[in-house]
Order: sequence, then C-alpha cells, then structure tokens
Amino acid sequence: MNRPIRVLAMGIFSVFALLVAAVTYHQVIVGPEYRDDPRNVRVATGITGRERGTIITADGVVVAVSEADPNDPLSFRRQYPEEALYGHTVGYSTLLFGNHGVEAFRSDDLVSNRDATISGVIAALLGGDVRPKGLRLTIEHNLQTAAREALGDQRGAIVALDPETGAVLAMVSTPDFDPNSLVGAAAAAAGDSLTDDPGEPLLNRATEALYPPGSTFKVITSSAAFESGVASTGTAFPNPVELELPGSTATISNFNGQACGPGAEVPLSTAFINSCNTIFGMLGMEVGAEQLVGTAESYGFNSEIPFELGSTASSIPPAASFEVDEPGVAQSAIGQRDVRATPLQMALAAAAVANNGEIMVPYLVDEVFNAEGVVEESAEPVVWLRATTPSAADALADLMEGVVTSGTGRRASVPGIRVAGKTGTAEVPDASPHAWFIGFGPVAAGPEDPQIALAVVVESGGDAGEAATGGTVAAPIAQTVFQEFFGLGQEDG
Amino acid sequence: MTRNAEAALLAAAAIVAAMGVALVNFATGAGLDAQVALTFLVFGVSFGSIHMALRRWAPEGNPYLFPIAAFLSAIGFTEIYRLDAGLASIQRWSLLLAGAVTTAVLLFLRDEGVVVLRRYRYLFLATAVLLLLLPLLPETWALHGAEVNGSRLWVRLELPMGNRALSFQPGEIAKVLLTIFLASYLADRHVAMAQTDRRIGRIRLPEPRQLGPLLIAAGASFAVLIYQRDLGASLLLFTLFLAMVYVATGRAAYLVTGAALIAAGGYFAHRAFDHVQRRVFAWLHPFDDFADSGYQIVQSMFAMGSGSLTGSGLGLGRPDLIPAASTDFIFASVAEEMGFAGSIAVLVAYALLVAAGLGIAIRSRDVFRKFLAAGLTIVIAVQAILILGGVLRLLPVTGITLPFMSYGGSSLLANMVLVALLVRASHGERT
Repeated sequence: MNRPIRVLAMGIFSVFALLVAAVTYHQVIVGPEYRDDPRNVRVATGITGRERGTIITADGVVVAVSEADPNDPLSFRRQYPEEALYGHTVGYSTLLFGNHGVEAFRSDDLVSNRDATISGVIAALLGGDVRPKGLRLTIEHNLQTAAREALGDQRGAIVALDPETGAVLAMVSTPDFDPNSLVGAAAAAAGDSLTDDPGEPLLNRATEALYPPGSTFKVITSSAAFESGVASTGTAFPNPVELELPGSTATISNFNGQACGPGAEVPLSTAFINSCNTIFGMLGMEVGAEQLVGTAESYGFNSEIPFELGSTASSIPPAASFEVDEPGVAQSAIGQRDVRATPLQMALAAAAVANNGEIMVPYLVDEVFNAEGVVEESAEPVVWLRATTPSAADALADLMEGVVTSGTGRRASVPGIRVAGKTGTAEVPDASPHAWFIGFGPVAAGPEDPQIALAVVVESGGDAGEAATGGTVAAPIAQTVFQEFFGLGQEDG
Repeated sequence: MTRNAEAALLAAAAIVAAMGVALVNFATGAGLDAQVALTFLVFGVSFGSIHMALRRWAPEGNPYLFPIAAFLSAIGFTEIYRLDAGLASIQRWSLLLAGAVTTAVLLFLRDEGVVVLRRYRYLFLATAVLLLLLPLLPETWALHGAEVNGSRLWVRLELPMGNRALSFQPGEIAKVLLTIFLASYLADRHVAMAQTDRRIGRIRLPEPRQLGPLLIAAGASFAVLIYQRDLGASLLLFTLFLAMVYVATGRAAYLVTGAALIAAGGYFAHRAFDHVQRRVFAWLHPFDDFADSGYQIVQSMFAMGSGSLTGSGLGLGRPDLIPAASTDFIFASVAEEMGFAGSIAVLVAYALLVAAGLGIAIRSRDVFRKFLAAGLTIVIAVQAILILGGVLRLLPVTGITLPFMSYGGSSLLANMVLVALLVRASHGERT
C-alpha cells in the first residue's frame, strides 16, 4: 500500500529537481542576459536601486547626485549635471557598465549603508549614520571649464595640479563622453557606440595615453646633467647644423633645420630655451644611458603613479639596452625613440621643478563629508618621489622661465606672473606631431602663493595638423589655463 | 523532547520575519519601528498558540512541519511587506486568524484525532461543493461572487457597517474538505476499486462502477474551470483526485486515464477560452507580445535574472514591476531580492515539507490517516509545483497561490489547517 506513495514521492521530487534546474537557468545561466536586456526597466531607467552620495568640486559645483525615482522612493537615479566635463574623472555608476572613476574607487564612501549588509545593520542598530557620504574634489570648476574649452574639439589632454600638495586642479581628456548617456534609456546602445568610436572617448588620455614626450623630456635630460655634474647652465657646446650619431647613418637636426643660433659654441641655457636637438643629443650621450634612465626613473618613469584613478606607467628602456646603441641615448635624450609618457607624468615633472625637486602623490578627493555636511576625512599630502636636488630644480626653473620669456614657449606667458615652461613637438611616423607644453607658475612662489603645474598635449597637432608645434598649439592653451588660475581669465583669451 | 526543537525553530522563523521587516526598513530609511516588533509578536502569538496546542493535544506529532510552514510564511511576509506595507498589515491579521482557527481545529480533534473526520465525509463533500458554487452567487446579494483578473473565484460578503466587504476564496477551504472526503471515501472502497478482472491485453481496466466517482470528480473540476475560469484550482483538484485514487488502488491505469483527460481538457480549454489561449501563447512566446500578454512572465524573468546569485537585497530591487508580485508571482519577487540563494532555500523548504508529509503517510498504519496524509501533502506539492512551474516557465501560468508565501488570508488559513491535520495524523502513529 506504500508503493504508490513512494512512486508519487519520486515523481514529486523529480519535478522539484526540474524546478531547481529552472531556477538555476533563469537566475544564473541566462540571468545576466535578462539583467542587461534593454527592455528591462531596471536597466532602461538607469535606476541603480541605491542612493549614492553627492560629489562636488573644490568650489562647490555639484557634479554627481542621486535623485529618488518619483514612482518608487526606494530607487535612485544617478545624475551628472555637468555632463561630459567630468566624465573621465568622476566617471559613472551604472547598472549596465558598473562603476568607473571616482565613483568606483570611492564607492565605499558613496554608498548608503542602509542595506542588508551586516555592518550596515549593526551601524543602524547602534544609531550610526547610515546615509551615504559626499565627496569634495580638488578640481576647480572654473579651471576645468576653461581647460576643456581651450582644447575645443581637438584630441588631447590637460592635467593641472598644485605642485606643493599634489591636488589635481583640472583634468581634461578629449574627446569626452556624457556619463548620463550610460544611465539613460538608451544606455546599452550608447555604451556600444562609445566603445566602437575610433576616437576612443572612454579613454582618459590624461592618465592612460602614452605619447613620446619630445622636447619636454629635455627637462629630465638637463636634470640628469646637473645632478651628475656633466654640465651646468653655462656649459658651452659645439654648434653643428646636424648631429651625426656614432655608428649609424642617422642624424639629429634642429626644428628649423639650422644650427642652434649664431656662433661656433652655445651655452646649454640657450640650447634649452630654443630647444636645440643637436646639443641635447650630445648632452644625452655625455650624460650616458645609466644616468639618463636613472634620473627619468626618479621622476616616476617605469613606475605606476600611485594615483587614485589609476594610470599607465610612463616608460624608458633600461640602460643596458643602450650599451650597443649610442644613437638611442641621443634620441631618448630629446624624448623620442622609445620614450613614452602620460600627460600626468609630465605634469608631475613640471611640478617637481616647481616644488624644489619633490613630487607629491597626486589626488582627486579633498574631503569626505557626512550627510550633515560635516567633514569626516581630509586628504593629507604625501611625498611620492624626490625627483632631483633642490639646486638642480632651481637651475631648471630658471631655464624654463627663459623658455616662456624669450624662447619657444612665449605664447604661454601671462602678464605680471612669472610663468615657466617647456614646449615639445613629438615626432611620430606617418602622422602629424603631438604638441606638448609643460610648465608652472609662479616661479619662486612664496609659501602662501597658490601655485599651479600643468601639462598640455594636443594629439597629432590638433587643428594645426602638420604645421603644429608645442609653442604654437599647446602653449596658448596653457596660457588660457594659467590666466584662469591667476584670475586673469578673459572672454577672448 | 521534540516539541522543544519545534519551539526553537518557530522562534527562529519569527526572528527571520522580524529581521526581514527590519532590513526592508533600513533600505527605506525607516529604521527600527513598531513594524518589526509587531511582526515578531504576531508570528510569536500565531505559531506560539499552535505550538502550545500541539504540546497539549499532539505531543508526539511531527515537530518539523510547522517550523517549515512558519519559515515560508516569514519569507513571504517579508516580501509582502517590502511590496506593500498595507497588505502586510492585513496579512498579519490573517496570520492571527489562521493561528486561532488552527488552534481551534486541534482543540476539536483533541480526543479522537483526525479519525473523527472520517464520519463527517458527506458533510464535508456537501460543504466543499457549496463553497465551490458560492462565487456564482449574483452580485446583487449581500454574499456574492466577484470576478478578479478574468477568474470568478472570489466571494464577497458586504458588511452592514459602511462600505466594507469581507472577501475570501472558498476554493482554498474546499480543497482541504475534499481531501478529507476523498481519504474517507477511498478508505472504505479502495479494496473493491483495486480488484477487477477486465483487461485489454496486459492493461487491467477499472470497473465502470468504481470509475464513477473519478469521472464525477473530473466533471466537477471541469465545471469549476468552465464557470469560474479558474485554471489553477481545477487542475489542482483534478490532480488531487487522480493521485489519491492512485494511492488507494496502486493502479497506474488511473494515472494514465487521468493524464489523458488532463490533456484532452487542456486542449479543449485552449480551444474554448481566450484567456487560456493567451496564457499558453505568453508561456511559449513571452517576448512576442512583450507589452501585453507576455508582460507578466517577462517581468518575472527580468526580476529573477536581475536577482542573480545573492539578490539585490531586500527593498533594493524592483519586484514591484511584476504584476501580481505579492500573490501568484511572490516567488519571482523573492528570487530578485534574495537571489538564487533565497530561491533554492524556498524550494528546499517545500521539498522538506513534502518529504515529511509523505513520510507520515508511509508510516501510518490506519488507512484513512494514510490516505489523508498523502492527500494533504499532494495538495501542497501540486499547488507549489503548479505556480512555481508557471513562474519558472515549465508550465503556462495558472493563477494559484504559493502555499504560505503568497498574500491572502483564505490561502494561509487553509494551508495552516492542512498542516495541523498532518501533524495531528502523525501523533497517533508514534505511540
């Protein structure tokens, strides 16, 4: 009499096994597909379901905020009122594409603890504040806006930071993207088109793109020469029209195809101010690979910068690789060959000169504040590297000021402010050169004076194309940023 | 003593419900409020009174059935509370009522146990038939039927004071009464029904005279289907008849004949009723009519998919997007917010419930108790399978509640009484 019951039991349990299989299918196997289906309202409305804290700039402009869904007060939609301006730095928090930028690395602060996590429950039981925290960035909104406008629709990047603290004051990468498009109704399609765009709008060129630094690298070559005592600013060098490289048919010539000014010999200062490749090629070989690579590494090359947003390491080949390649040393000394740098790295090089040879760890988040607006955590500036000696930094500052007052960087000058800089026109095969400017101001700032160091890159010469140079394309952009920073911003400037 | 284990497990279930409410509150920002304490209190009082009744009148009864029921109720209640706090407060009253009625049933059965029910079989049959016919009462009467979502399976009693109405689903109560009737009827007739000499080839055919009740049962089920358009209830009742006759006779022929009748009935229903056609179409091609007939099933699929392994967290998903999220589709709501882990926990709980119930049937020496325990367990199993199969797209959706978890007082009351009968049936056999 129990046999039919046992048969039924087997039948029922077989069906339960089928149910378990079906649940596994729906939740685990095809679950991700349903989750990302554009018809799934959870995706389409960009509702992440969680409240996140507000992010504001140093001067209080709201750049990311969560707004409650009017139909469901439990659900929040992330909004970015400044649209593309902070796309690469603040990033985004979306259901479909996850978190990126500040939204990703400061997610722990930004999320509400009003949830099912054990720590959240304990905090709530103990009467703790479970509301999400807000962040104040180091970025100045007006500077960021001016930098973005100065680049226009050219591809490139600008990094500006406070050399004394490492606080990032502006960080722009173009082309950019609007993070709102990744939480909107057409998020999936918008994400696809951004990924497929040949201009790579999702790439943060300021921290991730590697460019040959060109003549801006002469700051590091000079630094190596000063530290090792191979040369000083007054050391005289022969002045050929063309530098023949040993054991090779290759030559190095200057930008205009001429010798480095009049006379049979020129001092290093003149060569720096006029950016003469011939003489820096010679200097590089005199300094030697060992010292050149060592100095570059003390400026941060071949290391990942400990920056919250993450960054690609800038690179210079190891000294050993130059043992049988002396021409390579000369070419590396002028920032060509296999030397590659991110705009952030070169901004830090300028900052090192401004800050007596020390490089601070760059950072983006100045303060964490709670829902009442009370600051709970403030950034503490931290030294990252000693790039060079204070005396070498002083000498470099003088040279760089000369570049802006009477050399290739004149178009970066700002009336009444002692601006220093170095231009670069980085040659690339089969394309227009990248236009560089790195610099800082004011030179010899007092302890209370605000200071800024920056790097500007305009990819492939921008609008100027083949005719572009660092001095004509990048320096004017740097000038706009300096003017804005020193409160001299003009509508036509 | 086993009852101590029961007490501990019931307390754990009450804590699960209270903590669930607390988690929803944290997500909404409400924090700790009276809802948490109230929920704990209601679970405590309702299951506590049943527990005390069992200590007194069925101390040897199975100690795991009510804890499993309480656990499922707690999970369901949490999700109902997350979806609509108003529904949850009604559900709390239902829990109290179900606890009281179940205690009363145990009190009624205190001396003789479930066997006392065997005597009243025709009273139960008549009451069940009457209950099933109640929804057909005209709307103008104080006690009348009401149509919800194209199915006429509700009864509403207009109360004299104000515009209030008391509604209930008589089918839920009827299923328990019919199970008692069938167990009693089959306990008397199973020997005769199993004996037959008619054969076609190797298949032994049942006597037509013995087949009578089965055909009447099938007819009644189809009548319910036709007049009330209640696909789920008719399938449940018919499957119950078939399974119980099979348990009583051991004849696979009944199952085969029944399966053929279900297939024929399904085909007929599909041809005759638009709403059945729509449901079958939505089952097979949910995305083809995404905005209309496929909407519910697609929303449920999106909810389950979005839940993934550990779920969105209570109060942090969007189960409110699923039509009937707190009743028929409560499982999809739980799957979204508690994830695959929560879904599996629920499925395992039902499997344990069925295993314990069939275990009681197998151990019972008394035929009536055996059939009653088997029948009651089959009701729970079939009901869970019908609606879970619908939500998980193994079957077309048939509107029926998920035992213990769905919002609804009639369903909760009927299932609690059902479990009480199972536990009481297991008491006598242990001595």
